[in-house]
Amino acid sequence: MTGVAARPPRPLLRFVLITLAWLPVTFTVWYVLAPAILMPAELLIRGIARGFLPDLVRAIDSHDSVLSFVTTLRPGSAQAGGELTVDVNMLLYAFGLPLFVALTLAARQRPLWRPLLIGYVALMPFIAWGVIADFLKNIAITAPPLVASQAGFGAGARDMIAFAYQFGALILPAVVPAVAWVLTHRPFLEQLRGAWSARGAR
Amino acid sequence: MVRFFVIFLVLLAALFALELTPWAQTHLVIPWTNFLAKVSTAIVTMFDSSVIAEGKVIRSSAGNGFAVSIEAGCNGVEATIVLLAAMLAFPAPWKYRFIGLAIGFVAVQGLNVVRIISLFYLGQWNYTVFEWAHLYVWQALIMLDVLVVWLLWVRRVPPPGDRGAPPPSAPPALAAG
Repeated sequence: MTGVAARPPRPLLRFVLITLAWLPVTFTVWYVLAPAILMPAELLIRGIARGFLPDLVRAIDSHDSVLSFVTTLRPGSAQAGGELTVDVNMLLYAFGLPLFVALTLAARQRPLWRPLLIGYVALMPFIAWGVIADFLKNIAITAPPLVASQAGFGAGARDMIAFAYQFGALILPAVVPAVAWVLTHRPFLEQLRGAWSARGAR
Repeated sequence: MVRFFVIFLVLLAALFALELTPWAQTHLVIPWTNFLAKVSTAIVTMFDSSVIAEGKVIRSSAGNGFAVSIEAGCNGVEATIVLLAAMLAFPAPWKYRFIGLAIGFVAVQGLNVVRIISLFYLGQWNYTVFEWAHLYVWQALIMLDVLVVWLLWVRRVPPPGDRGAPPPSAPPALAAG
Protein backbone atom coordinates (compact mmCIF):
# COMPACT_ATOMS: atom_id res chain seq x y z
CA MET A 1 0.00 0.00 0.00
CA THR A 2 1.54 3.26 -1.02
CA GLY A 3 1.01 6.32 1.08
CA VAL A 4 0.06 9.58 -0.55
CA ALA A 5 1.09 12.73 1.33
CA ALA A 6 -2.08 14.46 2.45
CA ARG A 7 -2.37 18.04 1.35
CA PRO A 8 -2.82 20.47 4.22
CA PRO A 9 -6.40 21.70 4.58
CA ARG A 10 -7.39 24.73 2.51
CA PRO A 11 -7.46 27.37 5.26
CA LEU A 12 -9.44 30.03 3.39
CA LEU A 13 -12.04 27.58 2.08
CA ARG A 14 -12.46 26.21 5.58
CA PHE A 15 -12.80 29.72 6.96
CA VAL A 16 -15.43 30.67 4.34
CA LEU A 17 -17.44 27.49 4.96
CA ILE A 18 -17.45 28.07 8.71
CA THR A 19 -18.48 31.69 8.14
CA LEU A 20 -21.36 30.53 5.91
CA ALA A 21 -22.38 28.02 8.58
CA TRP A 22 -22.46 30.76 11.22
CA LEU A 23 -24.43 33.28 9.14
CA PRO A 24 -27.92 31.75 9.66
CA VAL A 25 -27.26 31.68 13.40
CA THR A 26 -25.91 35.21 13.65
CA PHE A 27 -28.67 36.61 11.41
CA THR A 28 -31.35 34.94 13.54
CA VAL A 29 -29.90 36.20 16.83
CA TRP A 30 -29.40 39.65 15.30
CA TYR A 31 -33.00 39.84 14.11
CA VAL A 32 -34.57 38.54 17.31
CA LEU A 33 -32.46 40.70 19.63
CA ALA A 34 -32.18 43.72 17.33
CA PRO A 35 -33.94 46.24 19.59
CA ALA A 36 -31.48 45.46 22.39
CA ILE A 37 -28.41 45.00 20.20
CA LEU A 38 -29.02 48.28 18.39
CA MET A 39 -29.70 50.26 21.57
CA PRO A 40 -26.29 52.04 21.51
CA ALA A 41 -26.94 53.18 17.93
CA GLU A 42 -30.41 54.35 18.92
CA LEU A 43 -29.01 56.33 21.85
CA LEU A 44 -26.42 57.87 19.53
CA ILE A 45 -29.16 58.82 17.04
CA ARG A 46 -31.23 60.38 19.82
CA GLY A 47 -28.18 62.34 20.99
CA ILE A 48 -27.41 63.59 17.48
CA ALA A 49 -31.05 64.57 16.90
CA ARG A 50 -31.16 66.43 20.21
CA GLY A 51 -27.80 68.11 19.72
CA PHE A 52 -27.80 68.95 16.01
CA LEU A 53 -31.37 68.70 14.71
CA PRO A 54 -33.54 70.21 17.47
CA ASP A 55 -35.34 72.43 14.93
CA LEU A 56 -36.36 69.42 12.84
CA VAL A 57 -36.90 66.55 15.28
CA ARG A 58 -39.41 66.92 18.10
CA ALA A 59 -39.19 63.32 19.34
CA ILE A 60 -38.10 59.85 18.33
CA ASP A 61 -40.32 56.84 19.03
CA SER A 62 -39.05 53.31 18.63
CA HIS A 63 -40.96 50.13 17.95
CA ASP A 64 -39.01 46.96 17.29
CA SER A 65 -36.12 48.15 15.12
CA VAL A 66 -37.96 51.04 13.49
CA LEU A 67 -37.34 54.58 14.62
CA SER A 68 -40.14 57.10 14.05
CA PHE A 69 -38.83 60.63 13.80
CA VAL A 70 -41.61 62.99 14.87
CA THR A 71 -40.68 66.18 13.08
CA THR A 72 -41.56 69.83 13.57
CA LEU A 73 -42.60 69.96 9.90
CA ARG A 74 -46.18 70.10 8.63
CA PRO A 75 -47.37 67.48 6.11
CA GLY A 76 -48.90 70.05 3.74
CA SER A 77 -48.49 73.80 3.86
CA ALA A 78 -46.72 75.34 6.81
CA GLN A 79 -50.04 76.71 8.06
CA ALA A 80 -51.87 73.36 7.93
CA GLY A 81 -52.26 71.20 11.02
CA GLY A 82 -50.84 67.74 11.73
CA GLU A 83 -47.31 66.58 12.12
CA LEU A 84 -44.95 64.74 9.83
CA THR A 85 -43.43 61.47 11.01
CA VAL A 86 -40.61 59.65 9.20
CA ASP A 87 -40.01 55.94 9.87
CA VAL A 88 -36.53 54.48 9.38
CA ASN A 89 -35.73 50.78 9.74
CA MET A 90 -32.41 50.46 11.58
CA LEU A 91 -31.90 46.91 10.32
CA LEU A 92 -31.26 48.26 6.81
CA TYR A 93 -28.02 49.78 8.09
CA ALA A 94 -27.08 47.09 10.59
CA PHE A 95 -26.86 43.87 8.52
CA GLY A 96 -23.09 44.11 8.79
CA LEU A 97 -23.26 43.09 12.45
CA PRO A 98 -24.19 39.43 11.81
CA LEU A 99 -21.59 39.31 9.03
CA PHE A 100 -18.90 40.66 11.35
CA VAL A 101 -19.83 38.21 14.11
CA ALA A 102 -19.87 35.26 11.68
CA LEU A 103 -16.42 36.22 10.33
CA THR A 104 -15.09 36.62 13.87
CA LEU A 105 -16.51 33.31 15.10
CA ALA A 106 -15.10 31.55 12.02
CA ALA A 107 -11.63 33.03 12.60
CA ARG A 108 -11.66 31.83 16.24
CA GLN A 109 -8.94 34.24 17.23
CA ARG A 110 -8.48 34.34 21.00
CA PRO A 111 -9.61 36.15 23.05
CA LEU A 112 -12.89 36.11 21.14
CA TRP A 113 -14.58 38.87 23.13
CA ARG A 114 -12.03 41.48 22.11
CA PRO A 115 -12.68 41.71 18.34
CA LEU A 116 -16.40 41.20 19.00
CA LEU A 117 -16.47 44.18 21.36
CA ILE A 118 -14.29 46.38 19.13
CA GLY A 119 -16.36 45.55 16.04
CA TYR A 120 -19.65 46.09 17.84
CA VAL A 121 -18.57 49.50 19.13
CA ALA A 122 -17.05 50.45 15.76
CA LEU A 123 -20.21 49.65 13.81
CA MET A 124 -22.62 51.70 15.94
CA PRO A 125 -21.67 55.18 14.60
CA PHE A 126 -22.04 53.95 11.01
CA ILE A 127 -25.48 52.51 11.71
CA ALA A 128 -26.39 55.90 13.19
CA TRP A 129 -24.97 57.57 10.05
CA GLY A 130 -27.22 55.51 7.81
CA VAL A 131 -30.35 56.13 9.87
CA ILE A 132 -29.81 59.90 10.23
CA ALA A 133 -28.95 60.27 6.53
CA ASP A 134 -32.07 58.28 5.61
CA PHE A 135 -34.21 60.58 7.76
CA LEU A 136 -32.63 63.73 6.27
CA LYS A 137 -33.02 62.36 2.74
CA ASN A 138 -36.71 61.81 3.42
CA ILE A 139 -37.42 65.34 4.58
CA ALA A 140 -34.99 67.22 2.30
CA ILE A 141 -35.14 65.32 -0.98
CA THR A 142 -37.95 62.81 -1.37
CA ALA A 143 -40.62 64.76 0.55
CA PRO A 144 -43.08 66.92 -1.43
CA PRO A 145 -41.76 70.45 -2.13
CA LEU A 146 -44.01 71.97 0.52
CA VAL A 147 -42.39 69.80 3.19
CA ALA A 148 -38.85 70.02 1.81
CA SER A 149 -39.05 73.79 1.74
CA GLN A 150 -39.91 73.85 5.45
CA ALA A 151 -36.77 71.85 6.20
CA GLY A 152 -34.78 74.79 4.87
CA PHE A 153 -31.88 72.98 3.21
CA GLY A 154 -30.08 74.71 0.33
CA ALA A 155 -29.00 73.00 -2.89
CA GLY A 156 -25.49 72.29 -1.57
CA ALA A 157 -26.81 70.80 1.66
CA ARG A 158 -29.25 68.62 -0.27
CA ASP A 159 -26.38 67.31 -2.43
CA MET A 160 -24.40 66.48 0.71
CA ILE A 161 -27.40 64.71 2.23
CA ALA A 162 -27.92 62.72 -0.98
CA PHE A 163 -24.28 61.61 -0.98
CA ALA A 164 -24.30 60.82 2.76
CA TYR A 165 -27.45 58.76 2.28
CA GLN A 166 -26.15 56.82 -0.73
CA PHE A 167 -22.76 56.20 0.92
CA GLY A 168 -24.46 55.26 4.19
CA ALA A 169 -26.87 52.89 2.46
CA LEU A 170 -24.85 51.29 -0.34
CA ILE A 171 -21.26 51.27 0.91
CA LEU A 172 -20.83 51.62 4.67
CA PRO A 173 -23.15 48.86 5.98
CA ALA A 174 -21.22 46.22 4.02
CA VAL A 175 -17.72 47.69 4.04
CA VAL A 176 -17.38 48.72 7.69
CA PRO A 177 -17.75 45.18 9.10
CA ALA A 178 -15.17 43.88 6.60
CA VAL A 179 -12.74 46.66 7.48
CA ALA A 180 -13.33 46.18 11.21
CA TRP A 181 -12.77 42.45 10.80
CA VAL A 182 -9.48 42.87 8.90
CA LEU A 183 -8.23 45.43 11.44
CA THR A 184 -9.06 43.21 14.41
CA HIS A 185 -7.73 40.00 12.87
CA ARG A 186 -4.13 40.69 11.94
CA PRO A 187 -2.94 37.60 13.91
CA PHE A 188 -5.47 35.40 12.09
CA LEU A 189 -4.43 36.81 8.71
CA GLU A 190 -0.79 36.13 9.55
CA GLN A 191 -1.76 32.60 10.54
CA LEU A 192 -3.56 32.25 7.20
CA ARG A 193 -0.42 33.46 5.47
CA GLY A 194 1.61 30.85 7.31
CA ALA A 195 -0.81 28.09 6.29
CA TRP A 196 -0.66 29.27 2.68
CA SER A 197 3.12 29.27 2.82
CA ALA A 198 3.07 25.70 4.13
CA ARG A 199 0.79 24.64 1.28
CA GLY A 200 2.99 26.45 -1.24
CA ALA A 201 6.16 24.77 0.09
CA ARG A 202 4.79 21.28 -0.59
CA MET B 1 -1.96 48.91 7.54
CA VAL B 2 -3.21 52.35 8.60
CA ARG B 3 -1.88 53.85 5.35
CA PHE B 4 -3.70 51.16 3.38
CA PHE B 5 -7.01 51.87 5.06
CA VAL B 6 -6.72 55.64 4.69
CA ILE B 7 -6.00 55.30 0.95
CA PHE B 8 -8.76 52.69 0.66
CA LEU B 9 -11.39 54.92 2.25
CA VAL B 10 -10.38 57.99 0.22
CA LEU B 11 -10.46 55.98 -3.02
CA LEU B 12 -13.75 54.40 -2.03
CA ALA B 13 -15.41 57.77 -1.44
CA ALA B 14 -13.94 59.22 -4.65
CA LEU B 15 -14.93 56.26 -6.85
CA PHE B 16 -18.40 56.18 -5.33
CA ALA B 17 -18.84 59.92 -5.94
CA LEU B 18 -17.71 59.35 -9.52
CA GLU B 19 -20.28 56.58 -9.91
CA LEU B 20 -23.04 58.96 -8.83
CA THR B 21 -22.25 61.56 -11.50
CA PRO B 22 -24.79 61.83 -14.34
CA TRP B 23 -22.10 60.93 -16.88
CA ALA B 24 -21.18 57.68 -15.13
CA GLN B 25 -24.82 56.81 -14.59
CA THR B 26 -25.69 57.40 -18.24
CA HIS B 27 -22.65 55.79 -19.85
CA LEU B 28 -21.66 53.08 -17.38
CA VAL B 29 -24.12 52.20 -14.64
CA ILE B 30 -27.41 52.15 -16.57
CA PRO B 31 -26.01 50.24 -19.61
CA TRP B 32 -24.31 47.79 -17.27
CA THR B 33 -27.50 47.27 -15.25
CA ASN B 34 -29.50 46.67 -18.44
CA PHE B 35 -26.85 44.23 -19.63
CA LEU B 36 -27.05 42.43 -16.29
CA ALA B 37 -30.82 42.08 -16.70
CA LYS B 38 -30.28 40.62 -20.19
CA VAL B 39 -27.64 38.14 -18.97
CA SER B 40 -29.79 37.05 -16.02
CA THR B 41 -32.79 36.62 -18.32
CA ALA B 42 -30.73 34.66 -20.85
CA ILE B 43 -29.70 32.24 -18.11
CA VAL B 44 -33.23 31.95 -16.72
CA THR B 45 -34.80 31.31 -20.15
CA MET B 46 -32.73 28.13 -20.40
CA PHE B 47 -35.26 26.58 -18.02
CA ASP B 48 -38.09 29.16 -17.91
CA SER B 49 -39.02 30.60 -21.30
CA SER B 50 -41.67 32.95 -19.90
CA VAL B 51 -39.11 35.42 -18.53
CA ILE B 52 -38.26 38.61 -20.39
CA ALA B 53 -35.97 41.59 -19.80
CA GLU B 54 -37.23 45.16 -20.23
CA GLY B 55 -34.36 47.55 -19.56
CA LYS B 56 -33.28 46.86 -15.98
CA VAL B 57 -36.49 44.94 -15.21
CA ILE B 58 -36.80 41.16 -15.31
CA ARG B 59 -40.39 40.10 -15.72
CA SER B 60 -42.36 36.89 -15.86
CA SER B 61 -44.66 37.17 -18.87
CA ALA B 62 -46.79 34.27 -17.68
CA GLY B 63 -48.72 33.57 -14.50
CA ASN B 64 -48.36 36.22 -11.81
CA GLY B 65 -46.44 38.73 -13.94
CA PHE B 66 -43.90 39.17 -11.14
CA ALA B 67 -41.02 41.50 -11.92
CA VAL B 68 -37.82 42.67 -10.24
CA SER B 69 -36.03 45.90 -11.05
CA ILE B 70 -32.25 45.92 -10.66
CA GLU B 71 -31.56 49.08 -8.67
CA ALA B 72 -28.43 50.70 -7.26
CA GLY B 73 -26.82 48.34 -4.79
CA CYS B 74 -28.10 45.29 -6.68
CA ASN B 75 -26.07 45.73 -9.87
CA GLY B 76 -22.76 44.83 -8.24
CA VAL B 77 -21.24 48.18 -9.16
CA GLU B 78 -20.69 49.20 -5.54
CA ALA B 79 -19.16 45.83 -4.69
CA THR B 80 -16.81 46.20 -7.66
CA ILE B 81 -15.88 49.70 -6.50
CA VAL B 82 -15.03 48.34 -3.05
CA LEU B 83 -12.81 45.67 -4.62
CA LEU B 84 -11.18 48.20 -6.95
CA ALA B 85 -10.43 50.59 -4.07
CA ALA B 86 -8.98 47.74 -1.99
CA MET B 87 -6.74 46.56 -4.84
CA LEU B 88 -5.57 50.06 -5.71
CA ALA B 89 -4.85 50.90 -2.07
CA PHE B 90 -2.77 47.78 -1.49
CA PRO B 91 0.88 48.01 -2.59
CA ALA B 92 1.11 45.82 -5.69
CA PRO B 93 2.46 45.92 -9.26
CA TRP B 94 -0.05 47.21 -11.79
CA LYS B 95 -0.04 43.88 -13.64
CA TYR B 96 -1.31 42.15 -10.52
CA ARG B 97 -3.95 44.82 -10.03
CA PHE B 98 -5.28 44.45 -13.59
CA ILE B 99 -5.38 40.66 -13.39
CA GLY B 100 -6.87 40.74 -9.89
CA LEU B 101 -9.53 43.21 -10.90
CA ALA B 102 -10.47 41.26 -14.03
CA ILE B 103 -10.85 38.00 -12.11
CA GLY B 104 -12.45 39.74 -9.14
CA PHE B 105 -14.94 41.50 -11.40
CA VAL B 106 -16.04 38.16 -12.84
CA ALA B 107 -16.27 36.62 -9.36
CA VAL B 108 -18.35 39.48 -7.93
CA GLN B 109 -20.63 39.88 -10.93
CA GLY B 110 -21.01 36.13 -11.31
CA LEU B 111 -22.32 35.84 -7.76
CA ASN B 112 -24.43 38.93 -8.35
CA VAL B 113 -26.19 37.22 -11.27
CA VAL B 114 -26.94 34.33 -8.90
CA ARG B 115 -28.34 36.90 -6.46
CA ILE B 116 -30.60 38.48 -9.08
CA ILE B 117 -31.94 35.16 -10.33
CA SER B 118 -32.48 33.83 -6.81
CA LEU B 119 -34.34 37.00 -5.80
CA PHE B 120 -36.52 36.78 -8.90
CA TYR B 121 -37.74 33.35 -7.83
CA LEU B 122 -37.77 34.01 -4.08
CA GLY B 123 -40.06 36.98 -4.73
CA GLN B 124 -42.55 34.77 -6.51
CA TRP B 125 -42.43 32.18 -3.76
CA ASN B 126 -42.53 34.26 -0.55
CA TYR B 127 -42.27 38.03 -0.28
CA THR B 128 -41.00 38.01 3.32
CA VAL B 129 -38.15 35.68 2.40
CA PHE B 130 -37.46 37.86 -0.65
CA GLU B 131 -37.20 40.97 1.53
CA TRP B 132 -34.87 39.22 3.95
CA ALA B 133 -32.64 37.88 1.21
CA HIS B 134 -32.69 41.16 -0.70
CA LEU B 135 -32.10 43.59 2.15
CA TYR B 136 -29.82 41.64 4.45
CA VAL B 137 -28.51 38.20 3.47
CA TRP B 138 -27.34 38.79 -0.11
CA GLN B 139 -25.72 42.07 0.88
CA ALA B 140 -23.61 40.20 3.41
CA LEU B 141 -22.80 37.38 0.98
CA ILE B 142 -21.64 39.75 -1.74
CA MET B 143 -19.37 41.53 0.74
CA LEU B 144 -18.02 38.16 1.88
CA ASP B 145 -17.30 37.41 -1.78
CA VAL B 146 -15.38 40.68 -2.14
CA LEU B 147 -13.39 39.97 1.02
CA VAL B 148 -12.47 36.46 -0.10
CA VAL B 149 -11.44 37.63 -3.58
CA TRP B 150 -9.28 40.34 -2.02
CA LEU B 151 -7.63 37.87 0.40
CA LEU B 152 -6.89 35.47 -2.46
CA TRP B 153 -5.45 38.33 -4.52
CA VAL B 154 -3.29 39.59 -1.64
CA ARG B 155 -1.89 36.08 -1.34
CA ARG B 156 -0.62 36.31 -4.93
CA VAL B 157 0.92 39.78 -4.70
CA PRO B 158 4.73 39.60 -4.43
CA PRO B 159 6.39 41.37 -1.48
CA PRO B 160 7.94 44.80 -2.20
CA GLY B 161 11.49 43.34 -2.37
CA ASP B 162 10.49 40.60 -4.76
CA ARG B 163 8.82 42.56 -7.57
CA GLY B 164 9.52 41.16 -11.01
CA ALA B 165 9.61 37.59 -9.74
CA PRO B 166 6.96 35.12 -10.95
CA PRO B 167 3.73 35.03 -8.91
CA PRO B 168 4.49 33.23 -5.63
CA SER B 169 2.19 30.68 -4.13
CA ALA B 170 2.66 32.15 -0.67
CA PRO B 171 0.85 35.30 0.50
CA PRO B 172 3.74 37.49 1.60
CA ALA B 173 2.11 40.86 1.56
CA LEU B 174 -0.62 40.71 4.19
CA ALA B 175 1.52 42.61 6.65
CA ALA B 176 2.38 45.37 4.21
CA GLY B 177 1.39 48.97 4.86
